[in-house]
Amino acid sequence: MRLDPVDAVVIGAGAGGGVVAKELAGAGFRVALLERGRLQKYSETGHDELRSQRTTVLGNAFGPDDERHLRLVRLGDDNEFRETLPSEGSYGNVAACVGGGTFSFGAMAWRFLEKDFRMRSTYGAPEGSTLEDWPIAYADLEPFYSKAEWEIGVSGKAGANPFEPPRSKPYPMPALPYSKEGSVLLTAAQRLQWHPFPIPMLINSVAYRGRPGCIRCPHCVGFACESHSKSSTAVTVIPEAVKTGLCDLRTECVAKEILTDGRGNASAVAYFQGSELREQPCRFVVVSASATESPRLLLNSKSRLHARGLGNNSDWVGRNLQGHAYSGAYGLFPQDLFDGLGPAACIAVCDFNHGNPGLRGGARMANEFIRLPYLFARSVRPPGAPRWGLAHKQFQRDRYKRCAGIKGPVQEMPVFTNRVEVEENRKDHWGIPVAKITGKRHPHDIEIGRFIAGRAAQWLEEAGAEQVWTTVAGKGSTGGQHQAGTCRMGNDPKTSVVDRTCRVHQTDNVYVVDGSVHVTNGGFNPALTILATAYWASHHIVSQQRKAQA
Amino acid sequence: MKRRSFVALPATAALAAPKYKTLTEAEAAIVIALTEAIIPADKDPGAKEAGVVQFIDTQLAGPLKRYRPRYRRELPIIDEACRAATGKPLALLQLSERTAFLEQVDKGEIAGGPFFQLIVDHTMQGFYGAPKHGGNRDAASWKMMGIEKAMGYHGGHR
Repeated sequence: MRLDPVDAVVIGAGAGGGVVAKELAGAGFRVALLERGRLQKYSETGHDELRSQRTTVLGNAFGPDDERHLRLVRLGDDNEFRETLPSEGSYGNVAACVGGGTFSFGAMAWRFLEKDFRMRSTYGAPEGSTLEDWPIAYADLEPFYSKAEWEIGVSGKAGANPFEPPRSKPYPMPALPYSKEGSVLLTAAQRLQWHPFPIPMLINSVAYRGRPGCIRCPHCVGFACESHSKSSTAVTVIPEAVKTGLCDLRTECVAKEILTDGRGNASAVAYFQGSELREQPCRFVVVSASATESPRLLLNSKSRLHARGLGNNSDWVGRNLQGHAYSGAYGLFPQDLFDGLGPAACIAVCDFNHGNPGLRGGARMANEFIRLPYLFARSVRPPGAPRWGLAHKQFQRDRYKRCAGIKGPVQEMPVFTNRVEVEENRKDHWGIPVAKITGKRHPHDIEIGRFIAGRAAQWLEEAGAEQVWTTVAGKGSTGGQHQAGTCRMGNDPKTSVVDRTCRVHQTDNVYVVDGSVHVTNGGFNPALTILATAYWASHHIVSQQRKAQA
Repeated sequence: MKRRSFVALPATAALAAPKYKTLTEAEAAIVIALTEAIIPADKDPGAKEAGVVQFIDTQLAGPLKRYRPRYRRELPIIDEACRAATGKPLALLQLSERTAFLEQVDKGEIAGGPFFQLIVDHTMQGFYGAPKHGGNRDAASWKMMGIEKAMGYHGGHR
C-alpha cells in the first residue's frame, strides 16, 4: 500500500528520533515517526524486577518480544554464530517502545569532555584500533547539550565538576540529594582529594515543564517511571512533536528498507504495519533505530547505486561497534548504607576520565543504582563466596544494606572488525534479514578497566569498607545498552558513514541520528550526547532540507 | 465429625484442581528437595516455605516454558544420581546430606552441574522476585532483608 507523501520519515522513536521528530515538526515539516514497539504505560510493567530492562528473566518488559525477533552473535574466534533472543544478554537489547532506551534508563545525563571528541589527537590509536577524532568538537555541541538539558529536563549542579568544559547555561533544576551511601562516599572522595559532585540526571528533582519531581522510589534504572519524573523522550519531546499536528507517531511499525531513486537518494520507506507492507514516500529519511538496527536497515537497503547497502560503498556501515567496558568494585561496610531511596546513583568523580598514566582514556566513576534483591543475589558476591545454601542466605540478609558498588563505563577503543552485518539466509518474523554481531573488546579496554576498578576499590576502602573486591570487564562481546559507533561520523567518505551533520555520505537526504554516529563513546553513559547530537543534526537537517525544497 | 470428614475427603480430592500446572507430584517433590537445600529455612523462611516450587511450576507454564523439557529430562537423572551416590532419593535425604551431595554436583564431581545451576538461578528468581509470580510468599525474602516497604509490599498478594 502506497501512502500519501510526507516530508520526513523518522525511524525509531527513542532518544535521537524523538528529538528529531519534535524539531522537524516544530519547523513545519510533516513527519511520520515509525516505532517498532508500543506506547507503554507505567501500569503495564510496574516495579517487577524479573521483567525489567536490567533483568529480563521473565521477559522483556520494554520490547522487543522473543517471538518475532532474533539476532546472530559470533561465539568465538571462528566463524560460528549462534542465535540469540531479545531477553538474552548477548542480544544487546536497547528496548523497543516509544521513548526507546530512555523510557526505562537510569537517566544519567553526562556531557562528554573535550578530549572525548579528540581521542586520536590526544592519545594516538593503539594497534588494532580505528581510534579517531570526531569531526565536531565539544564547543560545536555545547549549545545543543544546553538545549537538551533545558528542553528535556536535567537536574544537576553546574560548576560542581571541575573537569567539565565550559557550559553556556546552568542546569534547569537543582541536583537530586545525596543518599546515605552518597554522603559517606562524598567525604571519602574529599579525603582522597578527588572532586566528587552530584550526578546530573535526566530526572526532575523538582516539578518542571508540567511533570512532577522525583518521588525517590527505589525502582529507577530498568523501569518505567511511576511519576513521569524521568525525562524520557516518551513524556517530553515526542508528545510535543505530536501536539504540533505535523507528526504522526505510528507504533508497531517495522521498517524493512529505505527505497532510493535513480540518483541514489531516498524516495520512500517500506515498512510493515502488522503483516501489511506499506510504502511511505518522503523527501528525506532519518534513521534513529540504535547502533544495531540502524546499520541493519542501511545494509538491508540495497539498490543499483548502493549495491552493498545504503551508504556502504566504503564498507564502513556497521563497523566499530562499541559499548562500555564497565569495571569497578564492591565494598562491604560495618554499617547500614541503604536508605531505600532512588535513584541511589548520586555521586561521581571525573578525576579518572583522562590523564591516567599509560592509558588512553578512562571513565567517570559513580556509585551504583539500587541493586534489587535478585540481581544482588546473582551478581554481588566476593570471589569464592557460596552462591547458594545457608551462607548465601546469610550474606543476603546481613550484607544487602551494607554494600556499596562503584563502577565506571570504560571508554572502548573502536575496532574495525567489531561489527553489525546482516545475514541474508536468516530472517525475522517479517522476512527481514537479521543482524549478525561480531564483537570482542580491545585488550586496552581491559587494562583501563583494571585501573578504574583499582580506583573504585580505593574509594570504597577510604569510605570504610571492611572488605572490597573488584570487577573488571571481560573480553567478551561489546555493544549492549550503550551500543554506539556503527555509522561513524567523519569528513572522509572513505573512512566514515555520515558527515558532520549526520547525513549519509553520497546521499542528499538520508541521515543517521543515534549512538551509531559516535566516533568514540566517551567514558560516560551516552544518552545526553545522543540527545544533544540529535538537536545538532536537526538544526542542520532543517536548513539543508529547507534549501532542498526551495 | 470423624465420619463426615471421612465421607467428604474423597469428594474433595476428586474435585480439587491438580496441585501443579506443569510438574508431576514426583517432579515437584524433587524440585522442593532441591530448592530447600538451595535456600534453607533458618530463623527466616527458606525456599520451601516461600513457595519457590509454585514459582517454578507457574513459570514453566509461561515465560520459562523453554526449560520444561529440560526439567522433565533432568529431574529424574539428578534424583537417580543421588540414589546412586547416597542410597536414597533427594526427598528422603536429610538436609545436611542433601547439601553435601549437591555441593559435589555443583563442583562437577557428580554429573548434573549445569542443570543444578539452572535450578539455583530459578530458585533465586522465585525467592527474591515479586510474590505475584508465585514464589516469595508473603514477601518472605524482602522481610528477611528488611526491605519490604522499599519494595512497595504492604501485605496481601502483589
